[in-house]
Amino acid sequence: MGRGRILIAKPGLDGHDRGAKYVAHLLRDAGYEVIYTGIRRSPEQIVNSAIQEDVRLIGLSLLSGAHNVLFRRVVDLLREKGAEDIMVFGGGTIPPKDVPGLEAMGIRAVFTPGTPAEVILSTVSKLLGENRSAGAS
Amino acid sequence: MQELVDETRAGSVRAASRLITLLEDNPSLVPQLLLRARDWPQVELILGITGAPGVGKSSVVDRLIAEWRVVRPDWRLAVVAVDPSSVFTGGAVLGDRVRMMAHANDPQVFIRSLANRGHLGGLTLGIRGIIRVLGLLGCRLVFLETVGVGQSEVEVSSVSDITAVLLAPGHGDSIQMIKAGVLETGDIFVINKSDREGAERLSAELRGTLKFTTARVHGLPPEIVKVSAARNTGLSALREAIEARAEKLASNRATMRSSGERQEVREFLLEASRHRISAVLEKPGVLEKLVERLARGDADLATVTSELLSSAGRAYCGDRTDPTAPSDPTDEKHDS
Repeated sequence: MGRGRILIAKPGLDGHDRGAKYVAHLLRDAGYEVIYTGIRRSPEQIVNSAIQEDVRLIGLSLLSGAHNVLFRRVVDLLREKGAEDIMVFGGGTIPPKDVPGLEAMGIRAVFTPGTPAEVILSTVSKLLGENRSAGAS
Repeated sequence: MQELVDETRAGSVRAASRLITLLEDNPSLVPQLLLRARDWPQVELILGITGAPGVGKSSVVDRLIAEWRVVRPDWRLAVVAVDPSSVFTGGAVLGDRVRMMAHANDPQVFIRSLANRGHLGGLTLGIRGIIRVLGLLGCRLVFLETVGVGQSEVEVSSVSDITAVLLAPGHGDSIQMIKAGVLETGDIFVINKSDREGAERLSAELRGTLKFTTARVHGLPPEIVKVSAARNTGLSALREAIEARAEKLASNRATMRSSGERQEVREFLLEASRHRISAVLEKPGVLEKLVERLARGDADLATVTSELLSSAGRAYCGDRTDPTAPSDPTDEKHDS
């Protein structure tokens, strides 16, 4: 059985998908089933795909600077469609000053450039409720 | 499970996708579900799409969805696309959806990516149950896209009403055409990338091979259709060929589906038996003792097999609460 299903998506208009593909590959090697949806997707496409794929986690990658608007739209749409139990994390060229705002809107984790792979993996694992005995809240 | 079934019947996409996850994670629920699902609405056409990696299966499916959305605007369509799981980590990157994102906001189109989770044959365990869930959701046509197949992944033809085998120029010479395997399973052969060099020759070689193929999965001679998903040519002709064939098969469909149900139960029984026997063999020391007896010539393979089967059976009858704890087949009488 797989360890969990995760959707990796790129909202917005930048086409820089190295980061998204790197994270997809990283999660694959950690035993997760990763659905990759390609570049330049709308929040609607991402949320509809996440529901049909029955993922527990969405990872958004964005390098255009529109994260405050587009991440919020994804979180709002999930709520509108009664799928707020699907958790969202984000990554990309996001200024540290924007991170608290993103977390306040319900983004569970934000990975800025230079985040080590181990941090991404342990955060994902914690979000999916693995290692409960290790004291994850 | 019943709650998810009721919600799916009422049209909830969320419930359907959760039910699919449930079946994926617990394939042993499938035979039970199939037998209880006899009065559920059924998918009208299951179209299998198979072929080597990179021939354009997802792109052709994307174009075919658009075709059917025009001619059957009231139909709900579904795609089940299977990609391989890593044999090493169990992980997977499922990327078939990338080619089909044009339909992501269409409420009449349901797309689900699945990892094969080590199941050989090109599909995933429990696929028939998943298709029944899609029928319950109101899908009339299901595209069943296999992993990129090699030569012997022929399972798709036993699950689908019609199997389309995709080929593209540049994937091998005429000797590949006469080997047994995937090429025997096709009802319709689709030559994709037909704007490229070599498409004519591929078509001619294929025609030459099919002329001599007498085995027919569904009783109708196979046909060849040339398309280009990238240029969007030939797709209407392909849809028409599929529809014409589906019409001829309509009378057989009930028979085909019920034999599919029996097939699923059969596979589950074999799988469950295998697990139970394997549990006996995995008890410490059992295999070593059996190998020793065989090496000494104290017993032959047939005798050992019979013993194994009866201890697997006894283990279950003896303790119904724990079928995974079988008795030891190498008790004293065997060593005497």
